[in-house]
Amino acid sequence: MRLKSILREPLLHFLAIGAALFLFFHFSSGGSAGPGSTRIVISTGQIAHLEAGFTRTWSRPPSEAELKGLIDEWVREEIAVREAMAAGLDRDDSVMRRRLRQKLEFLVEDSAEASPPTDDELKAWLAKHADEYRSEPRVAFRQVFVSRDRRGAAAEADAAAILKRLTAEGSSARIATLGDATMLPADFDLAPLRDVDRMFGAGFARQLDAAELGKWSGPIRSGYGLHLVLVHERVEGALPNLEALRPVARREVLAERRKRQLAAMYDRLLEKYTVVIERPVAPQGPASSPAPAKGGS
Amino acid sequence: MNKRRFLTMTIAAGLLLPTFGAQAQDAGTADKAKLDKAFPSKPNYSPYAGRTFPTMPLFGDTHLHTGFSMDAGAFGARLTPRDAYKFARGEEITSNSGQPVKLSRPLDFLVVADHSDGMGFFPLLMSGDPALLATPQGRQWYDLIRGGKGAEAAFDIIRSFGLQQLPKGFPLPGTAAYRNAWGETIKAAEAYNEPGRFTAFIGFEWTSNTGGNNLHRNVIFRGNGTQAALVEPYTTMPPLGSDNPVELWKYMAATQDKTGSEVLAIAHNGNLSNGRMFPVVEAFGKKIDREYAQNRARWEPLYEMTQTKGTGEAHPFLSPNDELADFELWDKSNLDGSVPKTKDMLEFEYARSALKNGLRLEDVLGVNPYKFGMIGSSDAHTGLAAMEEDNFFGKTAPQEPSPERMSKVFFADPKTGVKVMDWEVGASGYAAVWATENTREAIFDAMKRRETYATTGPRMAVRFFGGWDFVAADATNRMPAAIGYGKGVPMGGDLAKAPNGKAPTFLVAALKDAIGANLDRIQVVKGWVDKDGKTQEKVYDVVWSGNRKPGADGKLPPVGNTVDVANATWTNTIGAPELITVWKDPQFDPKLRAFYYARVIEIPTPRWTAYDAKRFGVKPLPETRMVLQERAYTAPIWYTP
Repeated sequence: MRLKSILREPLLHFLAIGAALFLFFHFSSGGSAGPGSTRIVISTGQIAHLEAGFTRTWSRPPSEAELKGLIDEWVREEIAVREAMAAGLDRDDSVMRRRLRQKLEFLVEDSAEASPPTDDELKAWLAKHADEYRSEPRVAFRQVFVSRDRRGAAAEADAAAILKRLTAEGSSARIATLGDATMLPADFDLAPLRDVDRMFGAGFARQLDAAELGKWSGPIRSGYGLHLVLVHERVEGALPNLEALRPVARREVLAERRKRQLAAMYDRLLEKYTVVIERPVAPQGPASSPAPAKGGS
Repeated sequence: MNKRRFLTMTIAAGLLLPTFGAQAQDAGTADKAKLDKAFPSKPNYSPYAGRTFPTMPLFGDTHLHTGFSMDAGAFGARLTPRDAYKFARGEEITSNSGQPVKLSRPLDFLVVADHSDGMGFFPLLMSGDPALLATPQGRQWYDLIRGGKGAEAAFDIIRSFGLQQLPKGFPLPGTAAYRNAWGETIKAAEAYNEPGRFTAFIGFEWTSNTGGNNLHRNVIFRGNGTQAALVEPYTTMPPLGSDNPVELWKYMAATQDKTGSEVLAIAHNGNLSNGRMFPVVEAFGKKIDREYAQNRARWEPLYEMTQTKGTGEAHPFLSPNDELADFELWDKSNLDGSVPKTKDMLEFEYARSALKNGLRLEDVLGVNPYKFGMIGSSDAHTGLAAMEEDNFFGKTAPQEPSPERMSKVFFADPKTGVKVMDWEVGASGYAAVWATENTREAIFDAMKRRETYATTGPRMAVRFFGGWDFVAADATNRMPAAIGYGKGVPMGGDLAKAPNGKAPTFLVAALKDAIGANLDRIQVVKGWVDKDGKTQEKVYDVVWSGNRKPGADGKLPPVGNTVDVANATWTNTIGAPELITVWKDPQFDPKLRAFYYARVIEIPTPRWTAYDAKRFGVKPLPETRMVLQERAYTAPIWYTP
């Protein structure tokens, strides 16, 4: 591994940040913090921090008396934390555990974003996911609507008759007075299949696939009625290039990296531990019933 | 749709901004210049090329909470704004209760509107924030949630919030926890906003809830993340915030100045405000005056008419002659059940009566404060805008699909005896917007001009135009929208000064949801102020399916019912896939103010409760509603003498 790529290795960032934090916490309390120690030092930096917090809340600096109160409070908190930890009160506290885990995972997640994804990473991602981001095929067509609602049983026969006429007139047939009026567009410009289905109902676009280019055909059935269609243009979906997809690729590469690093972290740490599971986890029963719900805004 | 590419916004603006001053004066006349725009004298071969109006409604949700909202978090919502946008875009995700969930088809836009008060509170509480846990309340919630009683905690959080009794350490604007939550909200919207395909708006909910009276507003930014990050959401707790909407409007004005991004607010369904959503005499100890009216009209162009907590268009007590008014009502109390509802409150919390009172106030103040368009939204607290009857993921995390939601109590107050069941929660609704393209700017602008309608879930396309010269033949025209924009104004617009001897005419059309149920009928609802200054209303059936004839009482017979409740199915053998007509007001008095809006009714279909009963094999409680007629409500068109 070359030095440059080692420097880019996120796990290194993670370890470096972890070490820095450790050193920070170790020395920030005069090196005397931690359960067991009986010496409490509150530094000028910490006092300034308390003052700043107060000022943010109240939009004014604390008075002498208030500052003394803040410091006393901090000392009490520090004593409480040390005593509580010494007594092991933190150990069976699920919220503490959850918070600590969260903090640890945040470190990894932050380190994942420390260096932007390289072009190589983005390209590799694109190679793997190109198909999911392939631009959708598009289609342009004209349609004549025959309403089953208005024509009832005659609709099918009417549609066949209209199709005959359309076929005779060809692709430039004047359709403005044929069939039935509808709010659905008669001319559908080149649009993604998704939009076609959105307007005519799921599955409509797929049925257009069967139509021969430039020829009237149908009827295709939708929830609205019958449609005689003429597809006059088809554009196949294309693979996206990296430039168009760069923001998405970046987002996804970082997300993958976060996931990978978390998994790697746990894998690595697991090696340190021997895990003994005394009782196999019981198979999951039916979903537990949700707590009684109350209120909502 | 692709066609929007060709739309020129400038011309569109000329055609579509009928609500201002001079434009309103002639908006309804058959203006030749305007017709020329719609039908250029030298047309392109394709009559659709260069079209300048919106061709397809966009559907979305303007009111969705995620785990960032304090109460949602306590209820058990863990999904984030990012998850919410992903889901709305049509991706499959895992719900809060661990179930895979996907929409039948993507939405076009979404506003994640988490509560501004305590935004980020829940992550903070669950992280064991010392300041918060140092307070008895914070400690209590934390213990409740840890003990698996999150819903109880949520209820207490909402109640404490209503009483303005929140612990110190609650995240306030300016604190790191608050900024982080807002920053993350913005980042999520920026990451998922994809102009042309999916719009992710930046927004928040301002949750004025004093005394449990729901006066919430959803605030939406037109601009981008850089702009929104210049401010922090407005809250309701003094000294930084206020529970008075007047102060929210001041914040909005300052926000526009500071960020350069326009903002608008949508008032939450007022049905839980206990008579305070639409005041006519005074609000917060101050008389309703011209300034109030101007500000309300300026900042709140839209109203949330329907959502999971009921539909607030009309109430049978206020509209005894409207047999379809009794629809998904929540009329027992205020938001937390602490004060039961009395009949005298109803007039000031339902949309139709507010529109009527608005006309009356305009007579007195010169400005109509309640000139709003309608939208529907979910107000789900799950991060999931899943409001389809057969795919309903509830209002809160405990209401995600499970056999229990058919029989559980949603909330109850033993003191007042108010009790609302989970089954009463509605799978409603969505906001439909006639925007020229799917971008933040185009959708926001359409909202501003009120070219919107509310749906209770289905995605029907609804057109509503008003003018003086629509004729029956316009309803058979192949391009009704071109005629509509050419000869009139769209929903949300204004008609003024009736030409001599003319009454307003309306071109109204609806196309059923492509995968949904047929339509029963379209109605036009008219409200006006009579000669004696009293408000009046009337509901007209204007076009319907089949050969039904109105009876002697003028009422149209019901469309029928094909719902098989036991199997949760129905058929489109009744109703019509499409309805269109031209309607003329038969009782028009040019000297009186009036408004008109369209209501589109679907044939009966299974309610979500029917799907649940079938899929979980559970028996519904006796009073459970199992069938409903979904509907859409357009923004009104107003007539001013």
